[in-house]
Amino acid sequence: MPLVPDWFRPVAEYMLREGLPETLRIAAIALVASVAIGLTLGTLMTIRFFPLRWLIRFYVEVWRGLPILVTVLFIYWLPAYDIGSFHLQLNAYQSAALGLSLWGSAQVAEATRGAVQSIPKEQHEAAAALGFGWIGRHRFVILPQATRRLLPPMVGLLVNIIQNTTIAFVIGVNEFLQAGTRQFENVTSGLTGQVAPSYAPFMIFGFVMLGFFVICFPLTRLAAYLEKRLVV
Amino acid sequence: MFDRSVHILASFEWSVIWDNRGLFWDGFKHTIKAGALGFVLAYVVGLVLGAVRAHRIPVLNQVAVTYVELIRNTPILVQIIFLYYGLPVLGVHLETFTVAWLSITIWGGAFMTENFRAGFEAVPPRLREAGYALGFTPLKAFLNVTLPIGGRIALPSTINTAISVVKNTSLLLIIGYPELTYVANSIQSNTFRVFEAFSALAVCYLTIVWALSALIRFLEARLALPEAL
Repeated sequence: MPLVPDWFRPVAEYMLREGLPETLRIAAIALVASVAIGLTLGTLMTIRFFPLRWLIRFYVEVWRGLPILVTVLFIYWLPAYDIGSFHLQLNAYQSAALGLSLWGSAQVAEATRGAVQSIPKEQHEAAAALGFGWIGRHRFVILPQATRRLLPPMVGLLVNIIQNTTIAFVIGVNEFLQAGTRQFENVTSGLTGQVAPSYAPFMIFGFVMLGFFVICFPLTRLAAYLEKRLVV
Repeated sequence: MFDRSVHILASFEWSVIWDNRGLFWDGFKHTIKAGALGFVLAYVVGLVLGAVRAHRIPVLNQVAVTYVELIRNTPILVQIIFLYYGLPVLGVHLETFTVAWLSITIWGGAFMTENFRAGFEAVPPRLREAGYALGFTPLKAFLNVTLPIGGRIALPSTINTAISVVKNTSLLLIIGYPELTYVANSIQSNTFRVFEAFSALAVCYLTIVWALSALIRFLEARLALPEAL
């Protein structure tokens, strides 16, 4: 018996060729957006101006509190929106990326606030004494030091984002899990001409798990390693 | 843009939510049923395996590590689908409700194990040794020394995991378990009132999640260890 059954080879190839890049693309967009928005909001949250702080706090609590699936479905089903002549209608792929970014940016904002506040105030004073303004002080002095503390949770966030891209499956994006499901439907309906054995779903969904495990496990180890090395 | 937002607010049909209050209530009960069961069982799994991990009990420790790493590094949505579509191949046919509570228990249990392991390991060994010196058996020492102290250290992080367990019930939509998200999604597709259905849904989830977050802050204040160990 060959290591990989005949019927499974095209299935796995389809999943790796079509599904996996889509998963990684959504994850990359969500990661970049989450870090950019989250760092900004988290830093702004340390300003002692309560309307701004409460506004960002509300943003963080809402997007962290809602299950990501609810956010994504909400965005996906909202009717088309016209701003002037600009027609706004997000497709499934964009809805998933936006939903994940809202959730991720809330997580990053909360972590950033903690990291920025953990920097001793002497650092602020020293930077101010050197003539840095608020932006320069944070950009060149505070955030680079906060990054040290932020790196482990960021890697953890990346793992979470990669896993949560599977939520795009629900609204029909052809990511890794969806690609597996489509192939599962193909082989069990006999469309491919190959006769799939009864254990096909076990093997296909097992392969989906394996795929995510291979990506996420090294990242989890990396996060644990960074935590030990960088913090303190 | 302002016109449009006024339009959405003005055309907000409260009747969509009011007329479907029975459906929402049923969904809420299903969410709570699966969520509460998963919540409690995840604590049980986490306490037992967390103790196994912290005390490095041979064989069981390796089994626990494998379980935790496997669950933490794969998406819960895939785990649900695997239980629902993959297991019947092995002759294991599970009902929708069984998959519902089982999947979130398995997921929550893995994270709880790590929460409790960290809590138990944070208890200084000298406290346990003091217990042994008083003639406690290892089990008694765990129940009387490690558990009360380590459990309190682990409590806030375990409630965070529990909140995630409740939020994850929304994913049970894909196996047709009629919880809140499933209900809101079907109301939305029947009435096309997306904004109304999902606003009500969001309010339900935020109420549950924010109430549990408030509980964390309350417990953190109440159960804080009196002095540094």
